[in-house]
Amino acid sequence: MVRLFCICMTLFAAMLSAAPAQANNIAVSLVADRIDARGGGAATLAIVMRPKAGWHGYWKNPGDAGIETQAVWTLPSGMSAGPLQYPVPSTLLVGGLMNYVYEGDHALLVDLKLPQRVSAGQKLPVSVRLDWLACTKEICVPESGTFATTFIAGGPPGGDFARWRAAMPRPLAEDVRFAIDGSMVRIALPLPAAVPVDNAYFFPLTHKTLDYAAPQTVTREGDRLVVETRLAEGATLDKLEGVLRLVDGQGLLLSAQPGTVAPVSGGWVAAAGAILAALGAAVLGGLLLNIMPCVFPILSLKALSLARAGGDERTARREALAYAGGAILTCASLGGALLALRAGGSAAGWAFQLQNPWVIAALLLLVIAITLNFAGLFELPTFGGGEALVRSGGTGGAFWTGVLAAFVATPCTGPFMGVALGAALVLPTAAALAVFVGLGFGLALPFLLVGFVPALRRRLPKPGPWMDRFRKIMAVPMAATALALAWVLGRLAGVDAMALGIGAVLVLTLAFWWIGIRQAAGQARAWLPLSGALAVLALGTVVALRPAAPAIVAEPFSEARLAALSGEGRPVFVYFTADWCVTCKVNEKTAIERADVSAAFTRTKTAVLVGDWTRGDAAITRFLTTQGRSGVPLYLYYPAGATTPQILPQVLTVGTLTALGG
Amino acid sequence: MRHTILVATLIAVAPPAFAAPRVGVSAPAFTARDSNGKPVSLSQFRGKTVVLEWHNPGCPFVKKHYDGANMQRTQAAAASQGIVWLTVNSGAPGKQGHIDAAAANALVKSAKAQPASYILDPAGAVGRIYSASTTPEMFVIDPRGTLVYKGGTDDKPTANPADIPGARNHVLAALADIKAGKKVSVAETRSYGCSVKYAG
Repeated sequence: MVRLFCICMTLFAAMLSAAPAQANNIAVSLVADRIDARGGGAATLAIVMRPKAGWHGYWKNPGDAGIETQAVWTLPSGMSAGPLQYPVPSTLLVGGLMNYVYEGDHALLVDLKLPQRVSAGQKLPVSVRLDWLACTKEICVPESGTFATTFIAGGPPGGDFARWRAAMPRPLAEDVRFAIDGSMVRIALPLPAAVPVDNAYFFPLTHKTLDYAAPQTVTREGDRLVVETRLAEGATLDKLEGVLRLVDGQGLLLSAQPGTVAPVSGGWVAAAGAILAALGAAVLGGLLLNIMPCVFPILSLKALSLARAGGDERTARREALAYAGGAILTCASLGGALLALRAGGSAAGWAFQLQNPWVIAALLLLVIAITLNFAGLFELPTFGGGEALVRSGGTGGAFWTGVLAAFVATPCTGPFMGVALGAALVLPTAAALAVFVGLGFGLALPFLLVGFVPALRRRLPKPGPWMDRFRKIMAVPMAATALALAWVLGRLAGVDAMALGIGAVLVLTLAFWWIGIRQAAGQARAWLPLSGALAVLALGTVVALRPAAPAIVAEPFSEARLAALSGEGRPVFVYFTADWCVTCKVNEKTAIERADVSAAFTRTKTAVLVGDWTRGDAAITRFLTTQGRSGVPLYLYYPAGATTPQILPQVLTVGTLTALGG
Repeated sequence: MRHTILVATLIAVAPPAFAAPRVGVSAPAFTARDSNGKPVSLSQFRGKTVVLEWHNPGCPFVKKHYDGANMQRTQAAAASQGIVWLTVNSGAPGKQGHIDAAAANALVKSAKAQPASYILDPAGAVGRIYSASTTPEMFVIDPRGTLVYKGGTDDKPTANPADIPGARNHVLAALADIKAGKKVSVAETRSYGCSVKYAG
């Protein structure tokens, strides 16, 4: 009997030690981050939560059911606690009810304000009573406990704060908009096309905004991400805050304002109006291109040749159609190339050609060649497009003239076509192509009219010797186009590149002059000098343009490096960026990575540090916080010897940067 | 009849397609069986105030209000004013809180609860119509059939019975407003508790 009692007692004791009474289904512990012995500022406390297998805890907004974690703090005097910060949650749909949860180990972070004075080794004991809800798919258990830990000033680092911070959503300082369409809402945010997104989901922070259990459709269109889902019943929104999960465990914290959000590709019916408007603008823009100096000469000559062809209706119509075909096909091909680039993840605008110095230089040479041709320096041979075909008046010639007109027109599109092309970039591929076709159609429209309405043709001036004079006059606007291109080249790649471009023009001009002389003399192989000129140009391009725009040399940011550079008495430009930040990328392309800026920084010996916050680097987060910022972009300039920076505007210009230290 | 079955099937299989009932408009009609096997329809209570309470005897948040006798007190107050109190259990068979008719009657008796009827909704049809998401979750329907309150029992979203005395009982407050002929001042709150254990 006594023995049995003993065994029972032993078993009981063993049970007690193996399973402490009322073990929580989510084990909770506190971890204090390292703090300096300075005092002031904030210290981070992690509430580490480890759910048992099959159990989950809840996000700040728990979804259809569930409760957010509550904390009641006991802190030393002079300390106060900020709100609980939650990592990016996941979704759990049970019986048609949506839960926003954590099914694995996770940590909530809290920033604690420190007392003004803290001496080395001083202990700051903190205690918190937590109430949280632990659930499985079947049952829920409200759990609670009081936990304590101690911050030791100047103590050793502990815990995995880098990982915990990386799991927090990063605040997105971009213009995020939402639009309500009946019971549906569309949320659109700028997000570079290169950022990987998988399993995206928008977690609303506020109750009664979205229908939690409704499916979400996420669409990416270039540098835009659109989430479409159902509103909560009776929801009235003046703003919409939440976390967008990009990939599991990573996301952006954002606040959307009411605005207009263009429908996504899937919404064909809704998009039809926008497509028609863009198409109309494209036709109108194409029409306007006819009076641009880079197109009008070609059109006039072609129209004159039609008049010269006499009264044959069928020939006129055939030529008009061939010209239109050439113009439309070229525009569609250029558009197709642009769309292919867009699909390839490269966020190129229509004017992408005009941002590449090589393309500009090539266009410059083409326009110069046309100028010289119009000026009568040389004649084109009869095998291809241009003047000779204009004269021959054949259907093939008309087609190639259309091609030429459309291709030469591209530098002129910018000012007129911005709207239609912008629309084309966000429209579905087929609709975007339709816009480019519209552009070609508009370009061909005057010539089509001349071809199909004999009355118009009869009003054209009669052919005569004045035509040659007119052609030569047309060389003037063409030369003006060349001048504009040379200026663009200078802006893009610097004065050296412009000089090299003009040098290339000189080489080409000499070659064409020589060709003209040989043509006038009736020599066979009159075109031989061109091959020599092209060889010289090819050689020149190997050394040209490339060194004209040295990239800015930026070192990775660290506070130690910043202090070291400042210590050397050098001015320092610091910028913080992230792959998912469109504003950052635009500033880098349009202001920071420019030749003028690079030259200015070299001259003033300004060092450049770059902090990449794409993955929420903890050291950068801390530094941003000390600058009073919660996100990127942030541009700082430390004048030589200064310890406090000048905060630069969020939208940078070349002028702002070159003026630094000046 | 066939039409009704079709509708019931649709309700059971397509929960998200149903819009949640809105405060200020007619409460959606339903017919279900109670723990005594009697059919109960919302329409039969036209002219009386009706309270719907979503229930799961295994849920700690429901226990908070029953163990602390808060729910029974609220039910008694409602009954004394001639208000119809319907307790609804939408727990699916095999899930926490699902009970059969006999167990429901025993539970009502042992807890000294005073619902007019304990409605068994194992398919979740009534729960889906009302978009009930938590237990407990409360709905108050005025004598004209208009939904005048939906949400939690009170404003202390915890499972701790010690929080009851300091909390605002939203249902009693709504009933008082109706009695005084006033508009319900707090007509909608976020309910708190366990999720309703629907099938699927």
